[in-house]
Amino acid sequence: MLPDGAEDRLLANAKLLADVCRASGVDQWDLVGFQSYGHELDIEAGKITMAGGGGEGGFGVRVVDGGRFGFAHLVDVSGAERAVQQAVAIAKKSPSVNGFELPSNQAAVDVPGRFDRHLLDVHPEDMLEQADAILSEVASLDSRAVVTGGGVGLSATAACFMNSEGILASGMTTSHGVGVQVSIDVDGELTSSYQGASSRTKLETVPDCVGRAVHWAQITQQPIEVPSEPVDTPVLMTSEGFAPLFSMVVPPAMTGEKMVRHESFWSEKLGQPVMNETLSILDDGLLPGGMSSGSRDAEGVPRRRTTLVEHGRLATMLWSTRDAAQQVAEGRVDAAASTGSAVGGGHQSPPSTGCTELFLTSTQTAASWDGLLERMGHGFVVNSVMGAHTANPSSGDFSVTTSSILKVEDGEVVGALKQAGLSGNLAKAMNGDVHLGDHVRRQGSYSSGSMHLPDVLLTGGLRVNPA
Amino acid sequence: MVMAAKQGGEHMPSTGRYLDQEKVRKALDAAQEFGAQYAEVRVMAITESTVAMRDGVLERAIPGQDLGLTLRILADGAWGVHSTTDLASLPDQIESTTRLAKAVAKRRSAKDSPIGLADVPVIQDEQHWRSVLDVRHTELDTKMELMNDLYRGASGHDEVVSVRTGWSDEHLHTELMTSEGMDRVWSFQRSLIHGMVTARRDGEVVSYRTRHGGQGGLEVIQACDLVNLGEEAQRAAIRLLAAERAPSGKMPLIADRDLTGVYIHEALGHPCEADLVAAGDSCLDGKLGHQIGNEIVTVVDDPTMMGGYGAYPVDDEGVNTREKVLIKNGVLTEYLNHRETAHHFDVDPNGGARAQDGLHHPLVRMSNTMIQGGHHADMDELMEDIEYGVYACGTRGGQVDTGRGSFQFAAQEAWLIENGELTRPLKDVSVSGLTLQILKNVDGLTRDAMLASPGFCGKGQTVPVGDGGPVMRIREALVG
Repeated sequence: MLPDGAEDRLLANAKLLADVCRASGVDQWDLVGFQSYGHELDIEAGKITMAGGGGEGGFGVRVVDGGRFGFAHLVDVSGAERAVQQAVAIAKKSPSVNGFELPSNQAAVDVPGRFDRHLLDVHPEDMLEQADAILSEVASLDSRAVVTGGGVGLSATAACFMNSEGILASGMTTSHGVGVQVSIDVDGELTSSYQGASSRTKLETVPDCVGRAVHWAQITQQPIEVPSEPVDTPVLMTSEGFAPLFSMVVPPAMTGEKMVRHESFWSEKLGQPVMNETLSILDDGLLPGGMSSGSRDAEGVPRRRTTLVEHGRLATMLWSTRDAAQQVAEGRVDAAASTGSAVGGGHQSPPSTGCTELFLTSTQTAASWDGLLERMGHGFVVNSVMGAHTANPSSGDFSVTTSSILKVEDGEVVGALKQAGLSGNLAKAMNGDVHLGDHVRRQGSYSSGSMHLPDVLLTGGLRVNPA
Repeated sequence: MVMAAKQGGEHMPSTGRYLDQEKVRKALDAAQEFGAQYAEVRVMAITESTVAMRDGVLERAIPGQDLGLTLRILADGAWGVHSTTDLASLPDQIESTTRLAKAVAKRRSAKDSPIGLADVPVIQDEQHWRSVLDVRHTELDTKMELMNDLYRGASGHDEVVSVRTGWSDEHLHTELMTSEGMDRVWSFQRSLIHGMVTARRDGEVVSYRTRHGGQGGLEVIQACDLVNLGEEAQRAAIRLLAAERAPSGKMPLIADRDLTGVYIHEALGHPCEADLVAAGDSCLDGKLGHQIGNEIVTVVDDPTMMGGYGAYPVDDEGVNTREKVLIKNGVLTEYLNHRETAHHFDVDPNGGARAQDGLHHPLVRMSNTMIQGGHHADMDELMEDIEYGVYACGTRGGQVDTGRGSFQFAAQEAWLIENGELTRPLKDVSVSGLTLQILKNVDGLTRDAMLASPGFCGKGQTVPVGDGGPVMRIREALVG
C-alpha cells in the first residue's frame, strides 16, 4: 500500500520547502507535510458496492516575523516559493503578538503503537474478505438485518514536522476502520444503528461494533406507546450516545483562549468545582496506540498527560504556543504557556488548540451495565442522538432527538420508544450525581481528538420528550 | 504524465486545461482494453481563500490551491475508484483499478443486479459561469474591510464579549473525460462571509451566527448590507441573554425561511436522494406518486438557481443540470439521481451527482432546495389563530435518519406565540419529527419563497447547499 521510500521523499521535499523559508529572511518558520495512501470499500444495501484507493498529501507552511504570522498550503513543492511569499505577505498584514515565538527543540518521548507494519501487507482483496465476513456475521446474527451503509478503510500516512528552531520529526502511522449501519425492516417498521471501530493497528476481522449495531437495531424494534409528555428523568447514555454531546461541548470549554475570553461555561472557575467530585478528565497526549496522541503536538512541543478536571475541580486549561502568547500579550491572563495541545487540521490550516485523547474517569467503582440500570431504576437508555452538532458549546445547552432509546422501569428495559427529544445542559448534568460504567470505548469527536468514554448515568438535569 | 504544464498557475485562464487530453484518452482506452465497461477521469482544481478575524483583528488568512483527480472505472457491473493528488501516477492505476472493480463484481450474489449507468448525451464543451468580480483577484485588504463592516455592526455593546468574522471564497475548475467520449470543462465561484457574536451576562454565555453568500464572486458579498447584518446578529445575541428555555411538547410551529429551508433539506431532501432509496435507507422508498404531504407543499431542488450557494452548471458526471420537482402539491414526483441510480430506477439522470472535490467520487446530493410559496400574506396571518405555539428562526443545523424518516433541526432563537402574538423570547429550540407525518402537517405558507442563508451538507463528503422557502406553519411539531 505504501510506496517504498515515502517517508524519505516527504522529508526531502520538506527540506526543499525549508530552504525556501530560510531564504525568505523571516525570523522563524515551521512546516508540516503529509502523504497518505489508503484503500476503502463501501457497503450499501447488503453488498460491497465500490472499492477505492489512492493517495493524497501536501504541505502547510507558517512563517513568523516580529510576532506576526502567515500561513499557506501547497500540494507540490514546485510551488514553494509562491506559497512562502503568500505566507510572508499575510504575516505583514497580521497583528504582532508580543512574545510569540515558535518553540525550541525539547526532548520528546516516543509513543508506541501508532504504526502497524502488518497493515501495509493488507491488500484490497483482503479487505474484500473482511467485508464479506462482516456481511456474513450480520446475516448470521439476524437474518432480517441488512448492512445499509458503511465500509472498511485502511490507510498509512507519512508525516513530518520541521521548524527554524531545530525540530525535525517524522514518522509513519497506520489506521484501520470499520463502520456499519445495520437496518432491520419488519412490516415497514425500520430500525437501524450505526456503530464503528478504528485503530492504529489491525482490527479483528469482525470487530465488536458489528454485533453492537445488530443488537441495537434489534432491541429498538416494536416500539411501545408512551404518553407524549416531557419528563425530567435520569438517562443512561451509552458511550456511543454520550460521545457526540460530550465532544461537542466539553473539549472546547477547556481551551485557554475560550476560558480567558469568557466564552466558556467554565470561565473564571479555575480551581473550583465544575463537575461531580468523583469525576476527573484527563487528556493523554502520550497514549500508546492513540489516534490523536504522539510525541509532539502540531507546533513541535512535546505532548504530555494533562489532568484537566481533578475530582470535580477544574485544574488547568489547554494552550498552544500562539494562543498562550496572544492572551498574555492582550492582558487577559498574566502567564500562560503551551501545554503541548496544538492540534493540526492536516496541511491545510495552521495549528489551533484542542485535546488529544480525552478520558472521563470516576473515583467510584465502575458499574456493570446491569448495575447502572439497577441504580437508575426508572428512566431511559439513549444509544445515539441526532443533532449533537447543534449543541451550544458556549453554554452546554442542547436539545437533540433520538430514535435509539429504551424505557427502563425498576431497573429493567421494558421497551423501545419510536422517537423522543432529549434536552438539558450537559455542564449542569455532569455536576450532578453521575455514575460511570466499566467498559470504556474509544469514540470520535465533533471537536478534536478521541473520546474514551464508558456508559454514563446522568441522574439529573435532563428531559426526555417522547414523540 | 497527464498533467498540462499549467499546474499551479496562479491565474490559469478558465479556458485552459489541466488534463492532457490525448494522454487521458489513451488511459481511458487502456481501461476498456483491460475490460472496463466505462471509465472516467475527473480533475478538480480549487483556488480558495479563507480569512478569520476576531474583534476586527486578523487571526489567520489562508490562501491555497488544491488539485485532485479521481479515476472511476465500472467493470463487470462494479466500481473501482482511485483518487490522487499525484496526477502523474494515473496511467499506472488503470489496470489495478479495473482489477479492483472486477474483484468487487465477483462477490456480487445472484440476487443482486450489476451496476449500470443511464445513458446521457455525450457532450464536449466548456461552461464557465464568470463572476462579475473574480474571487482570485480580490485582495486581502478588501476582504478585511468588508469583514470589519460586519464586525462594526455586531460590536459596540457592553455584553458582547467577542465578534468573530470569517470569509471563504473559491474558484472551482473541473474537467471530465469519459470513455464514452464526454469531454467537458466547467468553472464557477462561490463566496461567503459569516460572523458569530458571543455575549455574556451574569455567567450566562450565548452566541449567534450569521451568514451571507452564494454562487459568484466579490459582488455577492458587496451586495449585502454587512453593517446591518452585524447589527441584527448583535440584537439577536442580546435577546438570547434574556431568553427562556423552550417549552417541550407537541405544538404549532412557525418557521422562518432559514428554518424552513433546513427542515425541507433534512426532512425531505435527504430521503429523496436515490442512492439512499436504492440502498433501502430511505423512508420514501416506493412512495413515488404517493401523496406524502399537504397539497400546499411543492418542493424543488435546482442547481441552476444562479446565486444560490448550491448552484453549479454541470454535475460531476458531466450531466446538464435542471430544476427537479421533488414534491408537487404534496405528491412525491421525483428522486434526486445520478447516472447509477437513474439506471436502477429506469429514469433519466437529473444532474444530482456532486463530489466534494477532485479526490472524492460523486454521490447523489442536493443543490438549492426550496419549498415554493403558498397563499398566506405574511407571518401575522399564519400566527393569528395560534393560541400557544412557537415561532423559531435562524438555524443551528439539523440531521436526519433517512431510513426511519426521523429528523431534527435546531433554531438559533425563538419566541413563544400566545393568542396570536409573539410574547417571550426562547432559546435552544429544536424540532423533531417524522418525514411522512410532518409533511402532512404543513398547513400554511407565505407567498414570498426565496433562498435563505447559505449552508453546508455532510454525507461523508461536505458540499455547499442553498435552502429556503417561505415562512411556514406546521400545525403540530415536537418542540424540545
